[in-house]
Amino acid sequence: MRGMTTGLPLEIRGLSKTFGAVRAVDDLTFSVAPGVVTGFLGPNGAGKTTTLRCLLGLVQPSAGHAWVGGRPYRELENPLQSVGAALEAASFHPGRSARDHLRFLAQAGGLPASRVTDVLRIVGIEEYADRRVGGFSLGMRQRLGLAQALLGDPGVLVLDEPANGLDPAGIAWLRGFLRALAAEGRTVLVSSHVLSEVQQTVDEVVVIAHGRLVTQGRLRDLEAAKASVLVRTPERSRLAAALAEAGAGTTVAEDGDSGLSVHGSSTDDIGRLAFAAGVELHELSNQPGDLERLFLDLTSEVAR
Amino acid sequence: MSNLVRSELTKIVSTRLWWGLLIGVVIYTLINAGVTAGFAGVDPGAGQEASPGLDQPEALRGVYAAAAFTGAYIFALVLGVTGMTGEHRYQTVTPTFLATPRRSRVVVAKALAHLGVGIGYGAVAVVTALAAGGTVVLLRGFDLGLGTQGLWRAVLLGVLAVGAWTLVGLGIGTLIRNQVAAILVAVAITFLVEPLLSVGLGAADLDEIGKFLPSSASSAMTSPPSPFLDLLPWWAGALVLLGYAVLFAGLGVLLSVRRDVT
Repeated sequence: MRGMTTGLPLEIRGLSKTFGAVRAVDDLTFSVAPGVVTGFLGPNGAGKTTTLRCLLGLVQPSAGHAWVGGRPYRELENPLQSVGAALEAASFHPGRSARDHLRFLAQAGGLPASRVTDVLRIVGIEEYADRRVGGFSLGMRQRLGLAQALLGDPGVLVLDEPANGLDPAGIAWLRGFLRALAAEGRTVLVSSHVLSEVQQTVDEVVVIAHGRLVTQGRLRDLEAAKASVLVRTPERSRLAAALAEAGAGTTVAEDGDSGLSVHGSSTDDIGRLAFAAGVELHELSNQPGDLERLFLDLTSEVAR
Repeated sequence: MSNLVRSELTKIVSTRLWWGLLIGVVIYTLINAGVTAGFAGVDPGAGQEASPGLDQPEALRGVYAAAAFTGAYIFALVLGVTGMTGEHRYQTVTPTFLATPRRSRVVVAKALAHLGVGIGYGAVAVVTALAAGGTVVLLRGFDLGLGTQGLWRAVLLGVLAVGAWTLVGLGIGTLIRNQVAAILVAVAITFLVEPLLSVGLGAADLDEIGKFLPSSASSAMTSPPSPFLDLLPWWAGALVLLGYAVLFAGLGVLLSVRRDVT
């Protein structure tokens, strides 16, 4: 593993982008810190790619800004050595070899030719390096995209849907790889429209829908907020009444024939309440938050 | 800038298009030079006047310089068009602009790299014309005539004109980002619109304007004077063609600098 690399923070402030009549990004504000993997989540068409393209100076924002380390991308002195990006798996000429694709980029960025071989080895496509990209599988293209992003050994990595098309082994590999890069102090921003793809990779999440921010925070906190307790009891209505009486932000919903799903109360508290009320319990267990559900809830709230 | 030019040259030579076009240059020049040499000075019959014979300087310039230019410039034009549209077609424009966010530098580097390869095409065409045309000249019992007055100036200008046409193509490719549309427009302009315009202007006694068209300017650099065409002096032709190249490439720079890459 290499030494510590200082990643730059990313700052998106009041960002809006309109294409004709379509408002792709709408007053979006969030920031991305170095040293962790941040997931940039949202359904298809939420404005993720447009936001990333604004950040990378490819698209001119209609309002607001998206900066890297306090500066627009276009003003970075050595862009490839500051930010590595892979935007979509199709940005390759099908008739050009993987090595030649990386070679012209290294030349444009003034990077040593040895970096091309290095990154091909790092992402594990060295043996296909001299084949034309047209014959590559989606997974191999994703790896080539990652190689392109790593070319300048940058402190910031911006990857659009990098897990798309990877097999489970590839996703596991990517997970370890991105976590290691973040542990080196780099800023890692990974977009996805499938939460489960990045769930075990990201520390922070930024969720957007319809171009607007839905939530930003630590994934663990979001999970905790959505967690519930499952109680099974033959005296469901009595326990529900007791819980309602205890109040304090607890919400109760019926679950199946004899169950209650309780939000906002711990197993300890519910057990104590049931004991005091003399209610017989058959099950009392913590239910982790259903993140896919959470993701759908979060992104459809804005839609309403 | 030298890094960027190197990068653009790598792009050109790392796909198969450039030598496909080069084969086209060789074949088309071979035919052009052979036919020009074969029919120079031959009496067309029907009372028409014969073209100058192979012992005349203008005939030799036609075989060696004009035939080479005509054989190469259309392929140089296509190379220039695809130099820009290919980036959009395969979305390699994204990594390109990520590596070099100052887009005007990319366009300038592209212009220099394509000019270089275009001049290379021109040089190959000249060698082909010398070989094919020279063979026919010798077979018909004439001198090679390589010392003919004005020949080497016409050859050199022809090579440069081929290079300039890559810039015209590059500019068209920047204006029209769809590859197929850009190639069609470029070829239609040179093969259809321009000749028609030229004839039309000639018929309307507006030759003064017609000789400023890109093809006429190119012809002024390489071709023998002809009773049908009123051409600019060679140096003015060179300036006019260069003007078109700079105009198109400059428009390309202006347009590409702020346009969104999606």
